[in-house]
Amino acid sequence: MNPQSFPLAHDALVALLEGGVSVCVATRGRDGLPSLSRALGCKVSRDRRRLSVFLARSQAADVLEDVRTHGAIALVASHPLTHRSYQFKGTDAAVRPLGRGEPARIRAYVETFLRVVEPEGYSPRLIRALFASPPETPEDWVAVTFTPTSAFSQTPGPSAGDPLGDAP
Amino acid sequence: MKIRLETIRECLEGSVPGHLATCDVDGTPNITALSQAQYVDGRHLALSYQFFNKTRRNILANPTARLQLTSPLTAAQYRMTLRYLRTETEGPLFETMKAKLAGIASHEGMSGVFRLLGSDVFEVLDIESVPGHPLPPPAQPSRMTALRASAARLAAAQDLESLLGGILDCMETDFDIAHTMVLMADTAGRKLYTLATRGYDRSGIGSEIPMGEGVIGVCARMGTPIRIGHATSEYGYGRALRRSAEEEGMGDRLDTRIPLPGLAEPASQLAVPIQARGRLLGVLYVESPQDSRFTSDDEDALMVVAAQFGMVVQDLETGQELPEEPVPEPGEPLPGCVPGGPLVVRHYAEDDSIFLDGDYLIKGVAGSIFWTLVRDHVTQQRTTFNNRELRLDPRIKLPGLSDNLEARLVLLGRRLVEREACVRMEKTGRGRFRLRVDRALHLEDVPQS
Repeated sequence: MNPQSFPLAHDALVALLEGGVSVCVATRGRDGLPSLSRALGCKVSRDRRRLSVFLARSQAADVLEDVRTHGAIALVASHPLTHRSYQFKGTDAAVRPLGRGEPARIRAYVETFLRVVEPEGYSPRLIRALFASPPETPEDWVAVTFTPTSAFSQTPGPSAGDPLGDAP
Repeated sequence: MKIRLETIRECLEGSVPGHLATCDVDGTPNITALSQAQYVDGRHLALSYQFFNKTRRNILANPTARLQLTSPLTAAQYRMTLRYLRTETEGPLFETMKAKLAGIASHEGMSGVFRLLGSDVFEVLDIESVPGHPLPPPAQPSRMTALRASAARLAAAQDLESLLGGILDCMETDFDIAHTMVLMADTAGRKLYTLATRGYDRSGIGSEIPMGEGVIGVCARMGTPIRIGHATSEYGYGRALRRSAEEEGMGDRLDTRIPLPGLAEPASQLAVPIQARGRLLGVLYVESPQDSRFTSDDEDALMVVAAQFGMVVQDLETGQELPEEPVPEPGEPLPGCVPGGPLVVRHYAEDDSIFLDGDYLIKGVAGSIFWTLVRDHVTQQRTTFNNRELRLDPRIKLPGLSDNLEARLVLLGRRLVEREACVRMEKTGRGRFRLRVDRALHLEDVPQS
């Protein structure tokens, strides 16, 4: 990938990824069977080279095991109202504990997501339940960080699947 | 399989998008959001194939996939292991998904973007529950209780009239559905005609829908239920009505169209086929201004009601006439039927349309029946008739043995009442009726040009 056109360089894309988008990750499990889990939001590194995604250990056991085994990952982020969707892939994913400020970021993500979808008729109670993982404590939360090596637009339409260029 | 697919069907309604993960032959994972999943049976579901994308390439090469779905009622999440089996590009499953996708697309502002190329059928190998804190499931009305009440109503029907009243009561009282239509199939004419309705300003009895047009027409053509949770012009009536008007091709003569009843813009629509002995008899259609009003449980329940309705219709059609019941002689003349000049009955042979004093009554088979009745009345002073002789009467051009004569008679009888005509059909027993004529008739036949 040409570093000049590296997609995380775009402010609008970073804002979308760190806003109230639906995020889900997939990894490769045993026998080519994929694993997947809904995430609690994501975060772009300051140098815009790396993407971190927050997961609940209790819900993403398979994904975390796969990441520890080989590091291949795919992440999709979709805006629930506009359907703008982007997929990022990487091969160096690694599990790490949450950094300072990241538990607060996860809580803020749930509230942002809730505000985005509430006008569509989803109750705050339902959305909070969606993101409630069993221990409901920061100890259950974990981050997976990777360097995206390819990125695609997945917004439904003729350009779905196209590699992400200069203008996301 | 610990969790059964049929117990989590609400997850397939699409209100919370699901995610599908696949791997290519090299093992690179891929993930995508889903706009539609369709329940096929307890072990199969179908996903919409809209674009030839990475997901598609992957399942063709490596058919195992994982799907994560969320209940819009409880926020419970489920992960399924799937195996891709085949893609259907036509037929009932495809049409059901195409219609539903049109509703979703319209709701999401994606009309013209979401377009179904195929229905990808997957076997569900496993369903696991994602640990979490879902909400308790909301209390749902019991469809079994509603079905039991409906079954009793339909079983009590003595004739097609009371059966039609019964099914409308089932929808309104047992299922709390305010807008219902029952349409019967005219297979030879490749159309459906409205026989009974409830919940509209005007009954619209006798109005027609071409086979394949809109929710009702597609349901009839494919013999499969069609359920849409959001308003979509693609399956609405506007186009259906316009086309049927054009096809009449008689706009310059006299108007023989009866406007279709129905909500101007229904948000939810459900059409289920009425079948008996493997034959399509008609369509039961319900609609609502509320989004996602009808669930898969409603669809199941209405399929059962429609099946029982179809069996009773079939039974009534083939049943023997019962002995004539004493019916009081007509007393006071019908309102508006004061003695005076004769009622002019004009018949156009071209389409068997009937006009009473210049007002359109009915056309087609029902028109041909009416013309036969009034001719026999005028020439032989006949007033009593039975269904069996009408079915065999060569003057009535029944499209085939499969055509439901009784439904045509109900249609004709109801149109006469709605037009407040001075000619009525009064039932004198099952399969028998009396033609009541309260004004002298003058018949005018317009032969085919």
